[in-house]
Amino acid sequence: MSARLLVSVVDDDESVRESLPDLLNEFGFAVQAFSSAEEFLASDYVDRTRCLILDIAMPGMSGPDLQLELSQRGQDIPVVFVTAHGDESVRPRLLKQGAAECLFKPFSDTALLAALTTALQGG
Amino acid sequence: MSFENGEQAGSGNDGLRPDLTAQTDEYGEMTRRLQRCINDLVSLLVLPAIWSGGGPSDIARTALDALMGMLEIDLLYLRLSLPGGEAPIEMFRIGNSQKQVGRPEEMGALLDRWLEADPKQSLPRATIRVGAEDMSVVPLRLGLQGEFGMIVAGSRHAEFPTQVQTLLLGVAANLTTIGLREAGLRSERSRAAEELDRRVAQRTSELAAANAELMKEIGERRQAEARLRHEETALRHSEARKAAILDSALDCIVTIDHGGHITEFNRAAEHIFGHRRDEVMGRTLAEVIIPPPLREQHRRGLERYLATNEAHVLGLRIETTALRADGTIFPVELAVTRIPLADPPSFTGFLRDITERKWAEEELRRSETFLAETRRLSSTGGFSKRIATGEIRWSAEIYQMFELDAAEPLTLGRILTRVHPEDVHSFNEMLDQQERGVDYEHDCRLLMPDQSIKYLHVVARATCDDGELEYFGAVQDVTQRRLAEQALAKARSDLAHVTRVTSIGAMTASIAHEVNQPLAGIVTNASTCLRMLAADPPNVDGARETARRTIRDANRASDVISRLRAMFSRKEAIFETMDLNEAAREVIALSLSELHRHRVVLRQEFADDLPTVVGDRIQLQQVILNLVLNASEAMSDVQDRPRRLVVSTEREGDDHVRLMVQDVGVGFDTQSLNRLFDAFYTTKSGGMGIGLSVSKSIIENHRGRLSAIPNDGPGATFAFSIPRGSEGVTRAGVGGAGWMSAGTDAPLTPRQP
Repeated sequence: MSARLLVSVVDDDESVRESLPDLLNEFGFAVQAFSSAEEFLASDYVDRTRCLILDIAMPGMSGPDLQLELSQRGQDIPVVFVTAHGDESVRPRLLKQGAAECLFKPFSDTALLAALTTALQGG
Repeated sequence: MSFENGEQAGSGNDGLRPDLTAQTDEYGEMTRRLQRCINDLVSLLVLPAIWSGGGPSDIARTALDALMGMLEIDLLYLRLSLPGGEAPIEMFRIGNSQKQVGRPEEMGALLDRWLEADPKQSLPRATIRVGAEDMSVVPLRLGLQGEFGMIVAGSRHAEFPTQVQTLLLGVAANLTTIGLREAGLRSERSRAAEELDRRVAQRTSELAAANAELMKEIGERRQAEARLRHEETALRHSEARKAAILDSALDCIVTIDHGGHITEFNRAAEHIFGHRRDEVMGRTLAEVIIPPPLREQHRRGLERYLATNEAHVLGLRIETTALRADGTIFPVELAVTRIPLADPPSFTGFLRDITERKWAEEELRRSETFLAETRRLSSTGGFSKRIATGEIRWSAEIYQMFELDAAEPLTLGRILTRVHPEDVHSFNEMLDQQERGVDYEHDCRLLMPDQSIKYLHVVARATCDDGELEYFGAVQDVTQRRLAEQALAKARSDLAHVTRVTSIGAMTASIAHEVNQPLAGIVTNASTCLRMLAADPPNVDGARETARRTIRDANRASDVISRLRAMFSRKEAIFETMDLNEAAREVIALSLSELHRHRVVLRQEFADDLPTVVGDRIQLQQVILNLVLNASEAMSDVQDRPRRLVVSTEREGDDHVRLMVQDVGVGFDTQSLNRLFDAFYTTKSGGMGIGLSVSKSIIENHRGRLSAIPNDGPGATFAFSIPRGSEGVTRAGVGGAGWMSAGTDAPLTPRQP
């Protein structure tokens, strides 16, 4: 199963880190979960990550900050933002800045699959 | 008898010489006659011996009998004169041969003649006619003057009286006289002796009576002396007592005579009037102690009494004024009595300085007026209650509050008819408190007959005079105040609610985050679950796990919704014992995402041993939330330093708990400090400016204090402190706040925590 693409999840909410990997596994992805941007950057999975599911608001480095950081490092990993804040106005701005998609919690499994598909095709 | 014997003896002697008969017959006859005469004389001479001790009539009778026997005569009469004017006793002796004694008239005439004859001359013989014969009668006086009476002898013999008869009659008369005189003397002596005895007895009895009288007198005199001594002692004691009473009397005692001159002036009088007794004795009362305007009245009153006995002041207790030596006039109470028995009349005046009493009366009057006015103005009534007897006394105001008739007896039962049924229990607890003799305050409602409700506040203090527990207290009708407080509490509660609802706007994103987070978990897990079940073969274990997570997240969402509902829907305040740390943690949990969104770094420093407090959890959480959001807001423009927020709790002193929210934001200048808590003051573009104002009123409603202090460095610290939930604080806090919060749904029902 080495053909499986690695999707990394960065979210400070534990229940997300718990539930999302299982669903992604069902989709057929390999998954790694991180509780903060800093933890992800420090890990060995940055290079291998094919797609990043990233929370916007987190203590410390936020989701957009991480995206900017990766971009500056020259690692253009496709990003799907997820957020519990229902502020729709952030979505166009994020898409403009290069995000593959921005999902508002709660989101359906098909919406997630579609976003991942978009992200991977774009990449 | 003796005569018979003598004759017989003589006859015997004649027979011895028969030869001499012729010659000697003459001599013999003479001798016989002499013998006979001697015998008769002897017989007469022994008569006194026979008479010895006899009375005059015995003597007379014996003498008559003896003469009759020896004289051979026909008549003997004896008249015996008795001393003392008694009728004379007459006795007759008549010879054997004689039948007649003559005519009585003839004898009477003779006797009269003899009796009236001159006592110095001898009495003449007489002859009286007896029948056909004459009879010679011879009278003899008894006594020289015939003072003892008379003997008359009569005989028909011609020779009568013979010499012998005369001799014998004379001797008999003399002997009889002597006997009668002796008898008389004896009788006289006897009478004298009797008289003497009688006089002695009389004298003796008189002496005895005199003696008895004397003894009685002596006794009486002794008694009188003893009485006198007793009375003197009593008088001395009385005087001493009087002096002691006068000296120690608290009242002035002044006596005057009928001229109004002072005759007594006791120590109290000296002390009060400032006069010395020896200076005023004898002076007139008027000039010494009667104020000039009253002197004329006093003089006229005294004159009128002396003239007519008509008194206006005697025996009465009157209030007037008196004059001191220093010229000051002061009020006195005066009682004047007339001294009993004193004539001309004199009087005692009892005077008491009532300056202090008048002052006290005036003060009391003023105080009562003041109190009544105060009660009227403050809708307050006074009461007292004796615990031992249960006797309750109310002022008129309380009767008006209770709308009870003051004329009917006041009983606990009547009072309870007005006490609100829901307050009867606490009313009874108040009664129990009275039994313990502690001071107390009590709030109570009355349910009036028209179903209106009155609120009363009772303050009572226990006193213990002479071991008897008695309460004095005030009852204030605080209905208006309570209604105002309720209206205020309702307004405050409404305002607090409005500000909470308003804060929903500010919290919308956070709330959405809080809800969306678990919802995301639910949707994701449910989707995973379905996919696992749809696989071939189905991943049942994985599906079960995801289903479990679904439920967990749903519960999490439910909790958030509950907290939000609690926070934003409830209006009424509920006071309860609560943990401020826990309340603060819940607030932080709710606002955590908001803080994250603002990149706030939160630190919690909660004291472990924080005492519980009594308060309304939601209202206090509203304050905490308000302070946290304000702090977050204050740091929204901070870019050059971590947006550090510290929420901490700690003890403050022994009896308070403090919660602090410290930020590193823009802070405030000291000039705006005074306005920070004013309503509608705000530094925020989107704020209404009522958050801190409402928070302040909430904290003050908890008997606490909300304060703001600029930090040494950047930012400010907002803190509030409220009393810890000790027993006393709990009671007071609950009672007061309970009523104030009795607001929205049932405005007339205080809530019990």
